[in-house]
Amino acid sequence: MNRIFGMALAAGMGLAALVAPAAQAETIRVGTTCTYFPFNFKDSDGNLSGYDVDVAKEVVKRIGAEVEFVCQAWDGLIPAILSEKFDLIVASMSITPDRMKKLDFSVPYRISEGRLIGRVDAEHKLFNEDGTPIVEAFDGLRLGLPRSSVYDRWTDAFLPEAEILGYDSPDSMYLDLQNGRVDLIFTNPMKAHLSFLSADGIEGFEFVSPAINDPEYFGTGAGIALRKGNEDLQARLDAALTEMREDGTLDEFSLRYFPFAIYPES
Amino acid sequence: MTFESSLILESLPRLMDGLWVTLRLFVLALTCGTVLAVGMVLLRISSRKYLSWPVMAYIYVFRGTPILVQLFVIYYGLPQLEFIRTGPLWPFFREPFFCAWFALTLNIGAYTTEIFRGGILGVNKGLLEASKALGMTYAQTFRKVTAPIAFKLCLPAYSNEMISVLKATALASTVTIFDVTGVARKIVAETFAPYEIFLSAAIIYLILAWIIQNGVRLLERRISRYAN
Repeated sequence: MNRIFGMALAAGMGLAALVAPAAQAETIRVGTTCTYFPFNFKDSDGNLSGYDVDVAKEVVKRIGAEVEFVCQAWDGLIPAILSEKFDLIVASMSITPDRMKKLDFSVPYRISEGRLIGRVDAEHKLFNEDGTPIVEAFDGLRLGLPRSSVYDRWTDAFLPEAEILGYDSPDSMYLDLQNGRVDLIFTNPMKAHLSFLSADGIEGFEFVSPAINDPEYFGTGAGIALRKGNEDLQARLDAALTEMREDGTLDEFSLRYFPFAIYPES
Repeated sequence: MTFESSLILESLPRLMDGLWVTLRLFVLALTCGTVLAVGMVLLRISSRKYLSWPVMAYIYVFRGTPILVQLFVIYYGLPQLEFIRTGPLWPFFREPFFCAWFALTLNIGAYTTEIFRGGILGVNKGLLEASKALGMTYAQTFRKVTAPIAFKLCLPAYSNEMISVLKATALASTVTIFDVTGVARKIVAETFAPYEIFLSAAIIYLILAWIIQNGVRLLERRISRYAN
């Protein structure tokens, strides 16, 4: 009996040693989707990679902490950070007024804008010269967009009558555009350029809108989100990001994935 | 995190829009799936192998794979085939609702065929011998003796299947459909309040399940009113 008890105790202590924090350094848990090429994704070796991931690693390093990534589907990111599953969201999340009601954000580390993509041969004329949508032109067209995104909110506001299909991943959205299940998609132009428009075997699609970046919906850019009431952490993040912009680190990260810089000028 | 019960009330009207989609999907899939199962079970119980084996294969495939995978194969996989995308069926398979209905119907068909078969096998052999002794043909026996008794025997298992299907309709939200779950996910994304909103959605499903459960119980009581 005693022996069994002793063994159980030893096993319990072993487990405790496993789960106890190993290093003394502060560990910051970063939530991201891990599926959003080229911002946060697993490369062919299974390593987490991308612009968001590079920024997160560098920022956390500069504030003197250890980083630990947590993969979480997009629509669960905010509920998960609010219930303290992780401390930061670095997932190309735009800094919008709605989200700022629940969360604080760092200064932006990436621009945020959307564009529509459609078939070249459909010869879409959907926007006026001044960049506002021609509402009637959307009649009878089906629009695919990422569920619960800035694109979703903008469309609700400007095209309330449009027929919307909500997607969980950009890749299924591209697939449905090719298949003809949707006529248009509304998406991140940087990503679409890289993973769709310039991809092998993709022909006959083009951007059919100007860049849409109304700050009320698209915010001032994509930033790092954190729970409210962490002013100290926020200040450290801001300082690190500002430094990274000034010393060319953000430039370097942009150019790893894109032929151009993707962070805001000021 | 705080719990805002007012959000439950606020989200209900929008969830009702989703309820209509959920109900339509449920009723259409259940009806068509059940009709399919009636045909399939007749083939399944046949002693001719070339009739029963294809049905067994169909049941094996649809019971042995997750509905979500079936739905993805139908929704994302089929359009990859040139003849589907250019063929006469494309207007149907283009619709997310049709794809969800199609997957659920085939699934219900597979499960319900087995439920019906169980009921048919459960009919007392003595009754069948008695019918034969009375000079009834096989078809007459099936219509007047086997089917009604089997129907009664199947009801509890069938009501289980109905409730499973009701819950399976939530998978439609993964292929862009705004059913109760789809709408709930959209509202959660706007309010960042998963507890309140998903709880409201859960209550809607509970009410529907309650209606099904009690509807079947009433039916059961009615058809067994001469028993005992």
